[in-house]
Amino acid sequence: MSINESTFGAGNGESGMEKPRIGVFVCHCGGNISDVVDVKRVAEEMSVLPGVVHSTTHMFMCSDPGQTSIEEAIKEHNLNRVIVAACSPTLHELTFRRAVARAGLNPYLFEHVNIREHVSWVIEDKEAATRKAARLISAAVSRVPYLEALEKRHIPIHGAALVIGGGVAGLTCALDLARRGIEVHLTESTDVLGGRMLELYTVFPTNEKASDLIDPLIKEVQSHPNIHVYLNTQLRDSTGAIGDFHTTIVTKKPDGGEEEREIHSGVIAIAVGVDVYQPREGEYYFGKSPAVVGLLDLQAMMNPDGPTGGKLEINGKPVKNVAFIHCVGSRQWPDIHEPQADGKINDYCSRYCCTGIVHAAAEIREKYPDVNVYDFHEDIRTYGRGHEDWYTKASEVGVLFFRFDPHKPAVVEPDPKGESALVVKCKDRLTNGLEVEVPADMVVLGNGLQARDMTTLIDLYRCSRGSDRFLLEAHPKLRPVELASFGLFLAGSVQGPMDITEATAGAAAAASKAAALVKRGFIELDPFIAKVNEELCTGCQTCLNVCPFDAISRDEEKGIAVISEALCTGCGTCAAACPSNAIQQFGFNDAEVMSEVLALLGVVKKEEEEVPVG
Amino acid sequence: MSEEVATKETEAVPENWEPRIVGFLCYWCSYTGADSAGTARMKYPANVDIIKVMCSGRIDPELITTALSNGADGVLVAGCHIGDCHYMTGNHKTMARMPLIRQVLLDLGIEPERFRYEWISAAEGEKFTRVVREMTEQVRKLGPLNWPEILHESGVGHGRDLKPWGE
Repeated sequence: MSINESTFGAGNGESGMEKPRIGVFVCHCGGNISDVVDVKRVAEEMSVLPGVVHSTTHMFMCSDPGQTSIEEAIKEHNLNRVIVAACSPTLHELTFRRAVARAGLNPYLFEHVNIREHVSWVIEDKEAATRKAARLISAAVSRVPYLEALEKRHIPIHGAALVIGGGVAGLTCALDLARRGIEVHLTESTDVLGGRMLELYTVFPTNEKASDLIDPLIKEVQSHPNIHVYLNTQLRDSTGAIGDFHTTIVTKKPDGGEEEREIHSGVIAIAVGVDVYQPREGEYYFGKSPAVVGLLDLQAMMNPDGPTGGKLEINGKPVKNVAFIHCVGSRQWPDIHEPQADGKINDYCSRYCCTGIVHAAAEIREKYPDVNVYDFHEDIRTYGRGHEDWYTKASEVGVLFFRFDPHKPAVVEPDPKGESALVVKCKDRLTNGLEVEVPADMVVLGNGLQARDMTTLIDLYRCSRGSDRFLLEAHPKLRPVELASFGLFLAGSVQGPMDITEATAGAAAAASKAAALVKRGFIELDPFIAKVNEELCTGCQTCLNVCPFDAISRDEEKGIAVISEALCTGCGTCAAACPSNAIQQFGFNDAEVMSEVLALLGVVKKEEEEVPVG
Repeated sequence: MSEEVATKETEAVPENWEPRIVGFLCYWCSYTGADSAGTARMKYPANVDIIKVMCSGRIDPELITTALSNGADGVLVAGCHIGDCHYMTGNHKTMARMPLIRQVLLDLGIEPERFRYEWISAAEGEKFTRVVREMTEQVRKLGPLNWPEILHESGVGHGRDLKPWGE
């Protein structure tokens, strides 16, 4: 137990009593605060509040001299609580915690008050701003006696990684981890490694053969001494948390039986990839004519080792006219497209298809010069490095582009004259609304990408999902390849539509983040977690139902709730729900928050109480 | 209850009275949204005092009733938009609890308009500013709540046994 149990539930008048000796430091912020708030007056007012033994101002509290003045005051006045009223805690809370720690005081006996973003920058009236600053600081003065000396949680990390999914992202992630000397368990649900790349012939922007890229990767993974590969393998169960995950996997054996294993890992990388959108029956005539195919079908057709030996043909009939249609199952509109079973439409861009189409279109014109190529789009977004070159090339080699209004998309129907299998029609915005119609022996749909069914995975690891159904990172910029639950990493397109370049970049990022954690061997987490008071807990299990992270379990023997230190992320939802007040959140316990509320409203303590100091 | 409301409305509003509103804000979205308002130098009245919690799911209804029974004229609760919660579904509990608080306030004879909950993202400084303005005006129209005695008699009090503040 890393948290000082003796001080838990401070303010209850039990143990380790010491009178609070509070230091208040009010920052001018070089005028940012003091031009509006009368900081000298506020500091004077604070100096007479119960427990305050030192109250002062400084031009820049965060500067070296400012920090030093705090450290010196702690020693000189024997302070056991420190309050700094300055900017937002997001900027300098850590700075001041460190300063407090340098002076030998527990860094969690510090309180940060925001009188810049929440006061001087938003309140015009100087008197009102000064009063508000004084109220906020007095709330902190009232709160700090209840603060407890906390320690960061120290969680050891087991030195192995589980990578789920053997596509290009999973392979890249596994290899990057293995090369750093980390033991990797790689699971794949099918009987081969390689994923979607196995279905591709050539890839943009380099026009390399997909097999030239993926085969060496597969070979290296298979032969790497640090990597254990499990094909035909699904997840069954999972227990544990960051540093100590125990995942049960099940492998189908050739004889029809199955083998169960438990994988012990410190971290988990999720690389299960995406599904390709399956058009509805009749969408652009799909399913009604064999001539309507997807981009992946075309890739297979263009492969000399593929089913048609590299010939463009439908049911043995050579193709003379090809029409591509963009944004099929992507960028859908609520008033046009029917929602799927979950009530959602795919309103996002699938990112790979525009370049995929112009690349394939240009390749057809190059390799099969007799074939006419038409491109129907609402927009073209060839945004990546080298992608625009394929758009330019497609234009140069004679691909004809037509742009339709997304509310009046192109129409595919049988050729009334019977000369070709189908015709594609639209009102072309590039020619000021001209009605165009082209013959098509083959219609290639640029099918978008869509999140897979990840029910088991989401249940086992409590993954958060975006409204687009893809797994959601903890923060798009600060923690872009991590889930909100610690120790879980996102590798590749499980996180959103990506092309191969982006998926491998994401996978490599996930591997670095995971490796940094494993190699360090432990992680330090904020101490603001919740804890159950065993004497007060009645075992009603209300908390089990409200915890977003399944961090609470029932100790059957004692008949009480137990919170996992590693799984708890410190939201405090259980503390609010507990009908017996048996759960308290460190840093936000009832006494701490209540004392703030009351002080803000001017309800003052009758006499100075003794409080514990950790 | 309705009689009491009527009696209260006839009470004279003290001179220079300013509404006192306590705002409970989650740290990741709404508190940072209030920071954004500051960074953009938006202006709003000084009546809402912010208390930080990590997640709006931490906001125990008792904190709200305690504030109202101890002199607050209004309470604001703000958390991440549904789907954006830093703790995945912490704010789902907020969403479930807050309508009940309105009902409790009604039962106690308190105008539910004194209580407001909003989803404010870290980027929505403008929304935070608007909510503070609207809320301040709303509570100003309602006048002082000033009902701590009645709340204590109703058995709500400040609940948790915080000895330093007496009975």
